Amino acid sequence: MNSGWLLFERLILRPLLREPVRTALTVFAVALGVGVVIAIDLAGQAAAGSFHSSLESLTGKDDLLISNTGGIDQNLLGRLVQLPYAFRFSPRIEKFAFLNGKGEALPFIGLDLISSDAQDEIRPGALSHAADLLTTGDPVWVGSRLGLHKGDHVRLLINDALHDFTVAGVLKPQNGEIGEENVIVADIGLAQKATGKTGKLDSIGVRVPPGQTLGFWTDYLRKQLPSSLSVEPQGARTEENRKMLAAFRWNLRILSYIALVVGAFLIYNTISISVVRRRNEIGIVRALGADRRLITFAFLAEALFFGVVGSAIGLVIGRAMAVGAVGLIGNTVQALYVSSQPAPIEFTALGVLTAVGLGLAVSLLAALAPAFEASRVAPVEAMARGREEYVAAVRSRVMVAWAIILLAVGAGLTNLPPVHRQPIFAYIAVLFLIAGTSAIIPSVVALFAGTASSLLERLIGVEALLAMRSLRGSIGRTSILTAALAIAVAMTASVGIMVGSFRETVSLWMNDQLRADLYLRPAGLSAIDQHPTMSLEIAEQIAKLPGVSAVDRFRAYPITYQGLPATLAGTDTTFETSASTKFLPGENRDQILRRLSAGDYAVVSEPFANKHNVHTGSVLTLPLARAERRFTVLGVYYDYAAESGYIVVDWNTLMRYLPDPEVSNLAVYVKPSEDITAVRRQIDGIIGGRAVLVFSNATLRAGAIATFDRTFRITYALEAVAVIVAVMGIAGALLAMVIDRRREFALLRFLGAAKPQIRRIILCEAGLLGLLANGIGLLLGTALSLILIFVINKQSFGWTIQFHWPVPLLLAALTGIYLATVLAGLYPGQTAVRMNPIEVIHEE
Amino acid sequence: MALLEVRNVSKVYRTQSAPVAALRNVSLTVDCGEFVALVGKSGGGKSTLLNLCGAMDFPTAGEVLIDGQATSNLSDAALTRLRRERVGFIFQSFQLLHTLTAVENVELPLLLARTPNARTIARERLYRVEMEEYADRFPHQLSGGQQQRVAIARALVHDPKLLLADEPTGNLDTATGETVLALLTRAAHDFEVALIMATHSNENVALADRVLQLRDGRLEHTAVLR
Repeated sequence: MNSGWLLFERLILRPLLREPVRTALTVFAVALGVGVVIAIDLAGQAAAGSFHSSLESLTGKDDLLISNTGGIDQNLLGRLVQLPYAFRFSPRIEKFAFLNGKGEALPFIGLDLISSDAQDEIRPGALSHAADLLTTGDPVWVGSRLGLHKGDHVRLLINDALHDFTVAGVLKPQNGEIGEENVIVADIGLAQKATGKTGKLDSIGVRVPPGQTLGFWTDYLRKQLPSSLSVEPQGARTEENRKMLAAFRWNLRILSYIALVVGAFLIYNTISISVVRRRNEIGIVRALGADRRLITFAFLAEALFFGVVGSAIGLVIGRAMAVGAVGLIGNTVQALYVSSQPAPIEFTALGVLTAVGLGLAVSLLAALAPAFEASRVAPVEAMARGREEYVAAVRSRVMVAWAIILLAVGAGLTNLPPVHRQPIFAYIAVLFLIAGTSAIIPSVVALFAGTASSLLERLIGVEALLAMRSLRGSIGRTSILTAALAIAVAMTASVGIMVGSFRETVSLWMNDQLRADLYLRPAGLSAIDQHPTMSLEIAEQIAKLPGVSAVDRFRAYPITYQGLPATLAGTDTTFETSASTKFLPGENRDQILRRLSAGDYAVVSEPFANKHNVHTGSVLTLPLARAERRFTVLGVYYDYAAESGYIVVDWNTLMRYLPDPEVSNLAVYVKPSEDITAVRRQIDGIIGGRAVLVFSNATLRAGAIATFDRTFRITYALEAVAVIVAVMGIAGALLAMVIDRRREFALLRFLGAAKPQIRRIILCEAGLLGLLANGIGLLLGTALSLILIFVINKQSFGWTIQFHWPVPLLLAALTGIYLATVLAGLYPGQTAVRMNPIEVIHEE
Repeated sequence: MALLEVRNVSKVYRTQSAPVAALRNVSLTVDCGEFVALVGKSGGGKSTLLNLCGAMDFPTAGEVLIDGQATSNLSDAALTRLRRERVGFIFQSFQLLHTLTAVENVELPLLLARTPNARTIARERLYRVEMEEYADRFPHQLSGGQQQRVAIARALVHDPKLLLADEPTGNLDTATGETVLALLTRAAHDFEVALIMATHSNENVALADRVLQLRDGRLEHTAVLR
């Protein structure tokens, strides 16, 4: 057998297997770290990375897509077919519908089913005969996932009305195109009627003739069409959305690495313990002829063992966790970005390689220093000294100097701008702050142990004194464990503060912004990018109610600006209703509102301004009503509704270019003297049979906060994993400590210590570690939260968030972590109590 | 009543291969203030007997009575209490806690027993072993002899009636060993403590009141020197 393997098996593997619990804890810590990276990667890929614009369903055979904000005049098609080239055009209606008015939004696509092209599109055999169009009443063809059958009657909510259709066939998925299995297809005429777009098209798919490049045909068509129409390659909308989701995924991925960073500290600790424990063995093996390289490799192999086994288990855990994560991420994507349908979770070779590579790299890197340390053990010295207590050389002053440098560099890095909209320097700054804090921890531990020792002894007793001395006596180990847990605590605290601050900011913003008494929108769980409309007469009739003082109409269109999705909206900007809008400091709200209705002016939301580098005075060119229109930006306002951002113009300005007065939302202001409930009853009467939801001010806010909380659940889940990894590390390290200090515990039993006292010493140590880590973690977490709020969030998403301490949340989280840390001492405590003191002392 | 009575005690350890009898039918009594030396080869059962006498372990057969209390009838908590109040241990390798100073090591049994004025008593005991000026030093700052003196102070700090010493000079050079031994016997005498010492040293044996020889777990020979 290979001698290297024999040495590894005898010197490394056997000792590891002799302590199965501790080995398992370390392996599991790595597995969780790797698992969470894999889970987030898989779930992120499924929920956001594989994003496919639902409205681009069934465009697979088109090369180009012609579209226009507010729709395309149907007559354009007549002109297009006269072009002297063999283009094939597929007119389309694209809308979302809700089956029976409930559940997820389903893409409702209108196609010209009489044409043979369209029949191809919805798969041969699905539309058995064009005659179906004539014989079936309002026929639709449905995706296979909807569970419907030919002949079923379905009721679909489109905009604010319910429409009845008959299923004429089920689409057979052919090439696994995402989103196709839940699409609903109707003939274009029927779709136009159902969506209220008679005479209009949402887009026209184009198949270009062979012989020329796509670019050539794109340019050609652009020249032939009014400048307001966009001609983009098929899939462009999907690409735009993917681009928008990239920052979100990037930040999520970074969060998923925290557990791995915490794991790195624990690997470092585990290997360090191994080295110290086997000093004597190293000495013997060196004396027997092993060279330094072999010793280094042996300990690196130990780390590799943790990395390989941990990563392998991590793959399985990650796949399982991805199932839960995909739902959470899907929620966030839906609430903040775009309607989406998560793709199936699929391992990709690259994803697996990255995660496993990271697991191995982190394990090896973390083990480098202790492995090198092991190789420097001089044989004679090691054998003479025997097994040594674990005392890492702590060069306090040097470490403090390093800490100051690292913290200063970290602080400096936060001032640097983003790189391609990614806050890369800010994340590097976070690493520097973590490193700086880790460097200062030994000094903090020493200071704490020095000053608090007698106080704790008085408060708790001799157990606290012994625990404190032990922590101080093995300051290297204590510092690493404190650092690992402190990082997990800091990340939890920082994300908690960031989310809490964001929540408070949104809540305050809603207080200012949402001043109306009642809000109306079409029913159905629409995502942020969907803007179903309500009949015009609803707004008109409500405005005429005697108890209503004002009605704010709001109409939104999804648009593309500089290759990224955004929303163009028109709203009533009377002084009375818009007075609550908050603009960035230095901007005169009254003046802005007065000018907004006077011409081609717009205000933009803060995320839009940040994303597109737009400010007051900038001019936005928007393709509207057959031409490119130029809007001057009058101001930037605070908004937390959508990350993609808003361009808002006056209602009348919007109507001038897009004269479709149906509204997406309505805000109703009830006269102070009137009873809101009575007005609401009148509004219910106006709505009649239409599927429109009415919310009171309080309900709307509560709903928004609920959505907010759902959105950030994933971040809490990630923090929880990091904390679990850290606590498992603490349990493993305490177990190692118990084994290393068995002589001390045995001696204490000889000196009259009762078993509960021994257990208390270990719980005290766990408690002190928890206390230190929580204290340091909270401080570091606060610093990191400032970076998250004022740098990373600003550079990634562009929101202004006011700092706020979410005290109950922090208290609950820190108490939970503290209790978990103390509980992590239970098993090691039990192990210490079970040891036979006579055997231990005899063995010594 | 004798301070310590060991009646027909046997101790069998269960190992993976076969049971090993460490003590076979041993009986002895020790009175207050008596110095008993235990001699015999390594593995003869000296340490096992000391552990049984110190209420650290139970006999497989027979019984051990300390101050009239049979250890076999006591719970773990009661045994712990008994050790705290009546027994002091001294080990060959000193067994001081490296994270504690000399005086902290000495006061440890008092702290574990929640005895008040622990520090004052500990300092007094250090004075008795001529180590008061080293009170605030850590073990690694002390020589072997000094460490063993601290260990003696610790063993006496709670006024035990029985002092059990397992090769207390085994790790010391001859001169230091002699000094430590003189100190130990003097302290035992001053505190009127019964001292049972496992030893290989003839010098140590010479100072004992009685010598018991153990061979293969049996008490083979008893010699009364004084």
